[in-house]
Amino acid sequence: MKAFLKTTVCSVVLHVLYRALKVLVRKDSRIRHEFSSFKDGFTIRITLSTEGPSVVMRKEAGRLSWIKEAEGEDLELKFKSIDSAFLVFTGMMGISRAYAEHRITVKGDIADVMTLVRMIDIAEAYLFPRIMSKRVLRAVPSKERSSLSVYRMVLLGF
Amino acid sequence: MMYVPSYFEFVNSAKLLSGDYALENIASEMNLLGSVRPIILSDATLEKIGSVKLLTDALAKGGMRPSSVYTDIPLDSSIEKVNEIAVIYRERNADGIIALGGGSVIDTAKGLRMLISQGGRDIMRYVGSEMLNKGQNVPFAAIPTTSGTGSEATGVAVIKDGERKVKLEFISSFLLPDIAVLDVRVLESMPPRITALTGLDALTHAIEAYSCLQKNPISQCYAISAIKLIMANLEQALRKPKDKKARISMAIASYIAGAAFSNSMVGIVHAIGHSVGGVCSVAHGEAMTILLPVCMRYNRDYAKEDYSELLLYLSSPDVYASTDAAARADKAIAVVEDFIAKIKESAPIATRLSERGVMKSDFEEIAIRAMNDGALIVNPRNADKDDILKILDEAF
Repeated sequence: MKAFLKTTVCSVVLHVLYRALKVLVRKDSRIRHEFSSFKDGFTIRITLSTEGPSVVMRKEAGRLSWIKEAEGEDLELKFKSIDSAFLVFTGMMGISRAYAEHRITVKGDIADVMTLVRMIDIAEAYLFPRIMSKRVLRAVPSKERSSLSVYRMVLLGF
Repeated sequence: MMYVPSYFEFVNSAKLLSGDYALENIASEMNLLGSVRPIILSDATLEKIGSVKLLTDALAKGGMRPSSVYTDIPLDSSIEKVNEIAVIYRERNADGIIALGGGSVIDTAKGLRMLISQGGRDIMRYVGSEMLNKGQNVPFAAIPTTSGTGSEATGVAVIKDGERKVKLEFISSFLLPDIAVLDVRVLESMPPRITALTGLDALTHAIEAYSCLQKNPISQCYAISAIKLIMANLEQALRKPKDKKARISMAIASYIAGAAFSNSMVGIVHAIGHSVGGVCSVAHGEAMTILLPVCMRYNRDYAKEDYSELLLYLSSPDVYASTDAAARADKAIAVVEDFIAKIKESAPIATRLSERGVMKSDFEEIAIRAMNDGALIVNPRNADKDDILKILDEAF
């Protein structure tokens, strides 16, 4: 697959993941608990490859917000290549394994990475079919509500 | 069968000087790297027992005079200390670093090297994993005085943020020393307790490197060699502290195990062990000793094949062959437990958390911290807080 197609797919999935996290910060007690450990104003950047696009999220008034651009983020996860990002965002590899395989560079405290990874693992349990989650997660977290209701809130906003 | 992952990375760029008169060759090697007036980092104890003088005399034989000797490094290296030494490094116009000591001294040196090569004044800017550029060339030699941390062979530095009272991890291949030096003259003064605990720390590195998520054929070879050396030499190093062959073998084992885990990483034993150390001030090697068998039992079903293979190297071909294939993983864990028990007969070490003053009321804080330790992410079996609490209970 061409790099620009992979970048497009990853960007779309990353956007869905952001929206899922935004919903689940309110609707899933475990993600809410994890999110509470970030200080208000905590900014996270996820970059899809060395020269690739990135998304920036920030904790604002206890909620997760999409930021157009920010400097001095508290945590940055950068995939070394779009191909590595593609493996993760298409459910072929868990983010834990991608980190273990040195496919991601990190700027910031590893403890914050652990928190974010746990949040993403739970979100993926909602977003991916169970067969896919079982393949990429060491343990599939239980769901506190149906995936359908999460998808409805992610895509339709209610 | 050796595991071949779909992708892995491996780096072990340090040149190893191991054995007789290794210290005397440092000046020549540092010259080749472009350093003629390095700063020496060590600690007060090593200065007191003469190890620092041994080093400076060896350097003098090679015509090298250090720009300064700094020995005020505490047991836990700190960001403040690194920043302070960087000022001295620049004032004295040093052009390289020689670290003589245990994990704390070498990690401090890694922090200093990072700060000088990157050109900043505060290493907090560089917290993270694999995000450093190579930066300015700062020749760096590491001489371990214990045989356990393997810090001389790793691209990892753990440095305390004194203000926030947390330990921060810096991970980069550019933290690896250019030269690792193993010389028995700076190792044989290790007391039995330190010999035992650092040796068991190295064993933990090897076992976790062999079985964690980023295991690969190279790191597994390293881990096997380390295990063989430790099983053959640790007891002898305790029985006869002046046995040069046993001492240098343990130093090599520590180096190899360090190179193994620097690439395939360590898992739950370290994740919980770091937290036990942080919350209850239990020595790192002791935390490893206490937790290793318990965590191996926790991982057993997820690392069964690896543990089964390790039985051959932890014991002997006869034991391996006479053990039913299905029972080899359990046997490997039992061999590790027996080995630790034997070591305990020769050195004052603890094998239960309660022996080191850990209280059950500490468990909650330990578990919370362990959940945020980067080592947990590469453990073969996922662990949540309840799992960690159960492990702590079993190790109590």
